[in-house]
Amino acid sequence: MQKRLTLGFFFILFLGTTFLPIVWMFGNSVYEEGKFSFVYYKDIFLTQKYGKVISNSLILASLTTILSSLFGVPAGFFLSKTNLPLKKLFKICFFIPLIIPSYITGIAWVNLLGKTGFLNNVFSQYTMLSSESVSDFIYSTYGASFILSMNLFPVVMLVTEYALKSVNPRLEESGLVVGSVFQVFRQITLPLIAPAILSGMMIVFVLSLSEFGVPSLLQVNVLTTQIFTQFSAFYNEKAATAIAFPLIVITFILIMLEKIYMRGKSFEMLGRTSSISTTQYNITWLNVVGITFCTFVLLVCVIIPLSTLIFNTKTISAYHDAILLARNGITNSILFGSIGATFLTLIGFFLGYLSENIRSKLRSSIAAFIWIFFAVPATVSGIGLIKLWNRPESACQFIYSSLWIVILGYVIRFLPLSSRIMTNYLKQIPHAMEDAGTVTGASWFRILGKILLPLQGYGLIATWLISFMFCIGELGTTILVYPPGHETLPIALFTVMANSPTDVVSALSIIIVVMTLLPVGVFLVVSKYLVLKPKLGLQ
Amino acid sequence: MNYPYQIEIPECKFIMNVLEVKHLTKNYNKKEIVRDISLGVEQGQLLALLGTSGCGKTTTLRMIAGLETPDDGEIWIEGTLASHGRKVVISQKQRHIGMVFQDLALWPHMTVYENIEFGLKANGLTRAERRKKIEAVLHKVNMQKYTNAYPGKLSGGQQQLIAIARAIITEPRLLLMDEPLSSIDVKLREDIRQEIKRIQQETRITTVYVTHDQEDAFLLADKIAVMNNGMLEQIGIPEEIYSSPTSFFVASFVGEANIMQVRIAGKDRVLTPWGELVCSTKDPDGKNAYLFFRPHQATIEDGGHCHGTIINRDFVAGVYKYRVSTSGIEFKLQDQTKHDIGKCIKFSIRKMDILFF
Repeated sequence: MQKRLTLGFFFILFLGTTFLPIVWMFGNSVYEEGKFSFVYYKDIFLTQKYGKVISNSLILASLTTILSSLFGVPAGFFLSKTNLPLKKLFKICFFIPLIIPSYITGIAWVNLLGKTGFLNNVFSQYTMLSSESVSDFIYSTYGASFILSMNLFPVVMLVTEYALKSVNPRLEESGLVVGSVFQVFRQITLPLIAPAILSGMMIVFVLSLSEFGVPSLLQVNVLTTQIFTQFSAFYNEKAATAIAFPLIVITFILIMLEKIYMRGKSFEMLGRTSSISTTQYNITWLNVVGITFCTFVLLVCVIIPLSTLIFNTKTISAYHDAILLARNGITNSILFGSIGATFLTLIGFFLGYLSENIRSKLRSSIAAFIWIFFAVPATVSGIGLIKLWNRPESACQFIYSSLWIVILGYVIRFLPLSSRIMTNYLKQIPHAMEDAGTVTGASWFRILGKILLPLQGYGLIATWLISFMFCIGELGTTILVYPPGHETLPIALFTVMANSPTDVVSALSIIIVVMTLLPVGVFLVVSKYLVLKPKLGLQ
Repeated sequence: MNYPYQIEIPECKFIMNVLEVKHLTKNYNKKEIVRDISLGVEQGQLLALLGTSGCGKTTTLRMIAGLETPDDGEIWIEGTLASHGRKVVISQKQRHIGMVFQDLALWPHMTVYENIEFGLKANGLTRAERRKKIEAVLHKVNMQKYTNAYPGKLSGGQQQLIAIARAIITEPRLLLMDEPLSSIDVKLREDIRQEIKRIQQETRITTVYVTHDQEDAFLLADKIAVMNNGMLEQIGIPEEIYSSPTSFFVASFVGEANIMQVRIAGKDRVLTPWGELVCSTKDPDGKNAYLFFRPHQATIEDGGHCHGTIINRDFVAGVYKYRVSTSGIEFKLQDQTKHDIGKCIKFSIRKMDILFF
């Protein structure tokens, strides 16, 4: 009973915070002057008006996916299948682009390739390219995909690495006995990990389709920026919702296609037994290629953008100015981020628990249902929140005019993610741990407090830190919903960008980078030194 | 089933079954996992639920524990109805059951002491009383030294004993064990099995022991219930299960056996591949008749009344095991003497049964 009530409560909380605003908004968009009307949808699908925007969005997402795979698949291969020197360093550094908000990388590359940028000068002096064409490139769909792929390639890299590690080495070894490394990779390894890579590519596709920060920074006209314009410039939230519709449909189709494609394919196990380690290729030329490639990726995705920002700040006073300008944003971000992360971890835990403990048939549906919301573009979530909570003269108004609306924004954006992470941690704890408590006659709350939560200590900390990290960088939803005086760091950055010199913008970007990387540093220390894991002998 | 339903008669309480399961049924996704199981366990007995993996024995155990809700049937514990159909009358909390799980499920973040103490806290005992009880149970399983160790630091066998201690600390009415030896090295198994037997006999806790290992079942159990495909094939004392199987499955599953279909030629006369043999045929009841004998119940000798050709020979644990064929029908024999493959031998069956399934 305790269990049912608690889980029911958190599921309703999920429906209320995440599901309701979005459904409400779509419901609202087909309702005009007291009756059903698809006038805004007709506008999109039956006129040419948005053809260009939709195709821009699709080009952006497809190009980003291709580029991310070109970076990610080889990186994943080199990091798991070779004995590269500095492998650990590469592994940690390749996480950085995923962690720092994509618009920060964007700002750095705009600084480099914009009209007065350093690299722009180099290109226009030493190559046939003109200064305009270089600057046009970065302010285009192609430039946006280039920047987004730098941020998203780690997704493909991680799934590739994980899949390669789960391939039973005996399968490869039996091939190596009779064939070359190339042949084995092409005919045995690659087909085995292809489903995993495809699912990684799909995540990249969906994320870049719903990306707002980079296109808005580069003034690229895609669906997400169009939604923002319709809403904030024309106050036409119904049109904004209708524009969001194709995004949701495309995402939904992709998730379905993936489900159909993956049916009966289990890439996770691949007959792996834990006692055998991954086949590693110790070939000199492969190592040389690997280290060259990884250094190149590291330069382009991490070192060049970050050092550009540091270099641009020039003086310490830039940091001083930045902090002065964004003081409010910094404290707000830390406060909202902490509250948001706490909610995300808590609800994420119970949602994860629910989807893990439900009857097998429903399990995958619930997980997929929650996951779909991760693909909802940030701007769409923002509009949904405003539609649902902006009710002057009602009791709810205090939510709309306080920090809670920003926190609701964090929850709606990242709950699918935090519950997914929590699910993965929960999977590692056998059900019998709880059953063993149940048969002793202990109440569910006692089992929760003494067994389930303590066993999840590590997972809870990880989920909290990851949530905090994402909350700190959140832009698309916050920019729509934040009440006056409640701006966060990214909002401060976008405001500063319009009317401050480059060095202050760069300094503020560095501050955001540090604030997002800090939790990761903490996480690494925690995972290494916190006594929990080694003491328990947990895998 | 040939056990009495005495629960309704108060005077007969002393032979009342501690656990009584009637027509238990469970479906998953429209597939019947457990079909119409009925069995009973008397006070202090150890019942082994024996069967291949996936036969529904663990599900049966989990239903008794209250971790799964049955779709049909009744579960009675000490004469009290615990569940009836899909209705749970007594929740697992009040069933007062101890359980040892397949992968032991010791809580890795608690010490041995805390692991055992967890179940006691619900009982409202004082700290001193709890300590006394825990010390006593650790003494019982010979693990006093490890009170403050974390389970991760213990060997598989030691973890096993702690799991048992944790299960019996509350002095449960019923102890359920789900393949407790499956995670233990073969060499250690025998020792731990002896420990389980000793602890069970000393505490006289009524126990249901799920296993797929015949050795476990025959060495530990007072009574064995053989399950197959979700159904109870046979329940009885180990000797009964071994020598008088009542179904084809039990006959072929338990021990090594030769089973071949034969025709009844008349009273006490059957038609076998070796001609007509004299054998008690009891009441044929219109069912198929099978000749049943174990390899060690036949002797290879010159004067034997049966014959066959040796087609294969293995040497296992000091005994030669033969596969022999008579007009295309294969069966197993064993002997201390070495015979060549291809040789025609004569043998006699000292003890055989005609079974009707």
